[in-house]
Amino acid sequence: MKTRPASRPPALRDLAETLVAYARRCGADEAEVSVIDGYEFNVDVRKGRIETLIEAGSRSAGVRVIKDKKTAYASSSDLDMATLRRLVRNAVRRAELGNPDEFAGLAPLATERVDAAALDLYDPAIPRLDSRTKIALARETERIALRDRRITNSYGATFASNEIRSVLAMTNGFVGEYEQTYCGLGVGLQAGDTDNRVEDSWSSSKRHFKDLETPEAIARKAVERTVRQLKPRKIPTQNVPVIFEPTQTSWLLGFLFGCITGTAVYQKATFLEGKLGQRIGNERVTVVDDALMPGALGSHPFDSDGLPCRRTVVVNKGELRSYLCNYYAARKLGLQSTGSADGGGVGPANFYLEPGPAALAPRDIIAGTKKGLLLIRTLGHGLNSVTGDISRGAFGLWIEDGAIAYPVSEVTISGNLGRILEEIEAVGTDLDFHGPISGPTVKVAEMTVAGS
Amino acid sequence: MRKPVKSTLQAPLPYVDHFGLSPADLRAVLGLALSSGGEFAEIFMEHRTYDFINMEEDIIKETAEAVSLGLGIRVIRGDRTGFGYTNDLSLDKVRKTALTAAAIARGTAPQAPPPPLRDRTRAASRYLVRRPVHAAPLREKIKLVREAYDAAKAHDPRIVKVKAHHSDSLLHICIANSEGLLVRDTRPMVKLVCVAISEKDGKRESGYWGGGGRVGMEYFRDVLTPRAIGEEAAREALLLLEAADAPAGEMPIVLAPGHSGVLIHEAVGHLLEADFTRKKTSIFWNKMGKRVGSELVTIYDDPTLPSFRGSYNVDDEGTPPRRTLLIEKGVVRGLLQDKLSSRLMGNAPLTGHGRRQDYSHWPVPRMANTYIGPGSDAPEDILRSVDRGFYVASLSGGQVEDSGKFTFSVSLGYLIEGGRLTAPVKQATLIGTNIDILKRIDRVGGDLAFGLQTGTCSKEGQDVPVTDGCPTLRIAKMTVGGRS
Repeated sequence: MKTRPASRPPALRDLAETLVAYARRCGADEAEVSVIDGYEFNVDVRKGRIETLIEAGSRSAGVRVIKDKKTAYASSSDLDMATLRRLVRNAVRRAELGNPDEFAGLAPLATERVDAAALDLYDPAIPRLDSRTKIALARETERIALRDRRITNSYGATFASNEIRSVLAMTNGFVGEYEQTYCGLGVGLQAGDTDNRVEDSWSSSKRHFKDLETPEAIARKAVERTVRQLKPRKIPTQNVPVIFEPTQTSWLLGFLFGCITGTAVYQKATFLEGKLGQRIGNERVTVVDDALMPGALGSHPFDSDGLPCRRTVVVNKGELRSYLCNYYAARKLGLQSTGSADGGGVGPANFYLEPGPAALAPRDIIAGTKKGLLLIRTLGHGLNSVTGDISRGAFGLWIEDGAIAYPVSEVTISGNLGRILEEIEAVGTDLDFHGPISGPTVKVAEMTVAGS
Repeated sequence: MRKPVKSTLQAPLPYVDHFGLSPADLRAVLGLALSSGGEFAEIFMEHRTYDFINMEEDIIKETAEAVSLGLGIRVIRGDRTGFGYTNDLSLDKVRKTALTAAAIARGTAPQAPPPPLRDRTRAASRYLVRRPVHAAPLREKIKLVREAYDAAKAHDPRIVKVKAHHSDSLLHICIANSEGLLVRDTRPMVKLVCVAISEKDGKRESGYWGGGGRVGMEYFRDVLTPRAIGEEAAREALLLLEAADAPAGEMPIVLAPGHSGVLIHEAVGHLLEADFTRKKTSIFWNKMGKRVGSELVTIYDDPTLPSFRGSYNVDDEGTPPRRTLLIEKGVVRGLLQDKLSSRLMGNAPLTGHGRRQDYSHWPVPRMANTYIGPGSDAPEDILRSVDRGFYVASLSGGQVEDSGKFTFSVSLGYLIEGGRLTAPVKQATLIGTNIDILKRIDRVGGDLAFGLQTGTCSKEGQDVPVTDGCPTLRIAKMTVGGRS
């Protein structure tokens, strides 16, 4: 297997601009075309052998047209010009069947632009990586993990990388283009005998190859996370403090994200509707969405409305300062876009909870807990943005007198996001931007843990 | 179940029309895919068209049309799979994709050329469609969306927001493999759903309902009307306004028929997918022929149910599916197989459960329509047998891990007090371990029903449409994740 040449098919930009012009000729008042060209590599290694190897490139196009304040979309993975022209024509025709929406329309051309190069989204080392190197990394990660005698089975290790070029062209004159890369390495493990298995995994995902955690570090974390769950107990139902590990804070913040999008607000699909400018949490809660962090996984120069991305303080010391909006939701709510358009909806950039000046080391948070649950994994969905209610299956470590006593499984945790934000007792120092949504360890004063 | 009638869907167009590749081209590409010593090669071609309508804020806000075209090529040697895909179907690009997939074999032995392809497309279809939705005028589909929307909105002044979505697609697939198989399928899919949000004294709740399947326009007249979809969503949203927090702790559970099939999907179905047994990660891997549940528990997966969302004429590897017995009277009897697991498990019988999300994914064993067979108890007797417990009326989903720990999320439940349903209760997750819970199923009703035809199952990043079913069931004891 040899190295892939780093050459790219040209003309993505031409294709986008041609289709925008064509949409206009078909009678669209406004049009926007996005084209994506992606290359994917993925190898799964299990028990030392390659299980699957994928290499593929693909392109797709998306179109939005607006005519008489009516919107229609189209998309295709068939980039044949005849197909694309037909889809554009159909979209213009189909728009007529919709209803006029006074808020429909493309965003005006922004006067400022973010320099994509300064965001450091593309690592030229990734297209140059040899397949053998990538396979060897996966193999090495699993090999180190399986050296631990307590590990009884493997889900395998994976190395994946992506190279994506995105182009957006609009009738308002906006044309933007950028390239980005991702790579990831991870392993999943089981410990225990057949009827008493526990499982967990660890992975590292970065834009730059040099930033990936080493196979040793990934294997060590995956092993540690798995074996610490061995011989769990079920505990009686009770209300106790719950400490969220960073992996768990991530989903809690993901849920918060879903509750502060402008789309959810105008649809009244969130309990945080009507709370702008109000306190929604205590002073420990500061949440930021920042698209401009160089090299970070969620950074990008412009959103799918063609607006420049930026840093937005969403919650400042407990006060809800901003909803995250695309241009449409912002217009509906009488607000400004936060450059958060993602397809037809709203997406996060780097959405995180700040540790803040009073942050504590995670071990001190545990040491300061007389009795409680350290939440390490959850199972199931159980999140309702309309009410803020949470109820999920949980795995954790029981804390007694400031120390970890034993693992707990087959319990559920339940609570309400609104109350959790008010009852955050401590925030950890351990914020690590391992994904577009991330947070440090967080201690919540009380949740119901249901068991026996 | 309705009697099968001959489908009025148009016969699949010749593959050349969609994919521009003749059987001779396909055979040559398969030969190339085997050129590095692969033992099995397969080409999966897909052409999908998709329509979407969204209504919210009292207007038809947007419509969308999508086209998906591409092919995936897989090469197997032993336990190794090489896979490549492309949406550029020029012969040159397809040949390159074959060579990428072929590289996995890394052998030198040239194989004999693959046999000529023989078309084994079934004449009869399981998709009972009188008026194909994909061919219906958009205006008619918009009318369905409006009816659902208006019914929800008009149901009660406490309904403050409504969303209704329609989607339909028509998928043409063509599969060719190095065993000489050539098979095509044309699969329709429709889904109409409604979400209603209710509000009272500053408190809000949401309700959801929907339907569809591999059906025609007539479904929305004969089986489930858009009006019923809107009203049910509104009704659930209103009921939840009056609902209390769910209780917390272990208690007897009664599951309503239909929806509650999610329990079987999570607790049993996933862990009898053959890949998890082959890799010995599933708690069930060494349980074949062994008792894992009560005598009352018999479970099937049946991809052949006419027009169900999870049904198909052939699976995504070209295997005709069959109803598969998974658990018989509490004893493990079968697995859901795909070709790779079957090969690696000593050519275990294929069941037709190799499925994939689309051409850019390779097939893995998946469920289709999973259900627990009916028992003999009267549903009202089951309810009467519980003094204090929790009744699961509707479910929003679930999850399982290989250890057998599983959850399912209840969107609406009731307390059972003195053998009767009393107060409605809201959202709660239930958790258990499958080998404990299956043994605790101690009453099974005769009222087998299937859940909403809107379900999607995710596994390893691939989504496929599924349906679940079950009769009224009692579980002696299970943990309910409410609040105390």
